[in-house]
Amino acid sequence: MTDFAIELNGVCKSYPFFDLHNIDLRLQPGTIMGLIGPNGAGKSTTIRILMGLVHQDSGEVNVLGHSMPKGQIDAKWDIGFASEDMRLYDSMTLGWHIHFMKSIYASWDDAYSQLLLKRFGLNAEQKVKGLSHGQRVKASLLLVLARRPKLLVLDEPTTGLDPVARHEILRELTAVMVEDGRSILFSSHNTQDVEQISDQITFIDRGRIIDSMDKEIYLDRWRRLRLEVPDGVALPTLPGVIGVQKAGRLAVAIANAFEPHLPNAYETSGARVRAVENMTLEEIFVANVEHSREEVKA
Amino acid sequence: MKTNVMLHLILKDWRLQRRMIVLTIVAGAAALAILLVGGQTPAVVGSVFFFVSMVFCACLLPMQNIVNERKKQTLSFVMSLPISSARYGAAKLVSTVGLFLIPWLALLGAALYVVLVRHSLPNGAIPVGLIIMNFPLIGFCLITGTALVAESEGWGTAAMAVVNSSYWLVWYLLVSHIPSLHETWSGPVAVWTPSVFKILGVEFAIIVLTLGATLFLQSRKRNFI
Repeated sequence: MTDFAIELNGVCKSYPFFDLHNIDLRLQPGTIMGLIGPNGAGKSTTIRILMGLVHQDSGEVNVLGHSMPKGQIDAKWDIGFASEDMRLYDSMTLGWHIHFMKSIYASWDDAYSQLLLKRFGLNAEQKVKGLSHGQRVKASLLLVLARRPKLLVLDEPTTGLDPVARHEILRELTAVMVEDGRSILFSSHNTQDVEQISDQITFIDRGRIIDSMDKEIYLDRWRRLRLEVPDGVALPTLPGVIGVQKAGRLAVAIANAFEPHLPNAYETSGARVRAVENMTLEEIFVANVEHSREEVKA
Repeated sequence: MKTNVMLHLILKDWRLQRRMIVLTIVAGAAALAILLVGGQTPAVVGSVFFFVSMVFCACLLPMQNIVNERKKQTLSFVMSLPISSARYGAAKLVSTVGLFLIPWLALLGAALYVVLVRHSLPNGAIPVGLIIMNFPLIGFCLITGTALVAESEGWGTAAMAVVNSSYWLVWYLLVSHIPSLHETWSGPVAVWTPSVFKILGVEFAIIVLTLGATLFLQSRKRNFI
């Protein structure tokens, strides 16, 4: 029995043109993890493995204490899964879908389902084929949320949504977390969404986890230093700095383990520190991916 | 209390596909009504339309019930439910075969009624009729198995093309190699020769093998979506 909502240890999966390498991932109960990666990074494959839909070649996967894929049936009773490519039955109404889910899940919360219908502006009598993309996503989330699952696994749920719809969905996901012990794994390539609601961030690129940590620590540790480098001054290689880009007398140093003494170290070398800036999650993501790709090349 | 998800999936398929089942029964019944008119031309037209109604369902049902679930991306929704790929495959097979058997049995019963009660065709046609009735059932099983295992519209369509063009070939081979079949079909009494039982046995074996192989291959899948 594991204490994590999700635990992946050394998970590998090979396809003809893509490999998932040695994935280690842990999600604490009661937290929201944002899984960020570019298109084709392996987010969906990782999620499919932890849902038992794809079998790993090696490694261990535990979800809510169930070993996957063997324990997928028991695990799925407590998992709410929605993905960007998930569709409902076009010819049936949303009400039919609600009735279908209600007949399967004893935990179905009718009052919450009605509340979500109102909040999302959905009509249960409407056929799915008449819904817009945003309404379909909201309908899928309603069907997932009203089951009151212990774990929500959402694969790019906000892709293609307008800002208002995205806000409504993110607000609802945050509200879900008010209930104790619920956990969310949320994959996206939209860093704004992830930054807004996640406690933990995991970056994945080309089938490898390149970093995974608490969001606040990420934002705290990554800094951009704008430097002025007089002629004849060579910038030192400092620990915690993953890259320096120079353009004439100006340079930008990116630190992934910023320490207060770093600016002083540059000043001592003869450079002038013009600014120390915080980085957005998107900037951290891009810098992290580029750094990781350079490391793999080297 | 945990519910039986397989049962819910089977019922869901019934709700989604019942229109086609009703349509097949109506089309088959209409074909039998033509046959009841009497005379050689209505008998031929009715028999062909009757066969076509079964073939129509044998082709369309697996495509609608299995291939469309993947094509229209509703499979992710189903697989988010507490079910494994093996159980999904079993539920899909039971629902698709069960749905097909409804019009197949209904029309078989109706055809027997036309022969035995209304005497529109001689009783000697019953053994041959039963053999022919199994053709679309076998074809349906082959298309269903291919659609479920191959998970592609292309393979499903290929299976349909092969199956549909084989009906007449199989019929030709049976009649040309087993003369007793056409020697007795216009007689007033149904003649159950050993050849008839052999053919029916082989047909039954093909159905069982196809469905068994489908379940076996489905249970061994490692990548489902």
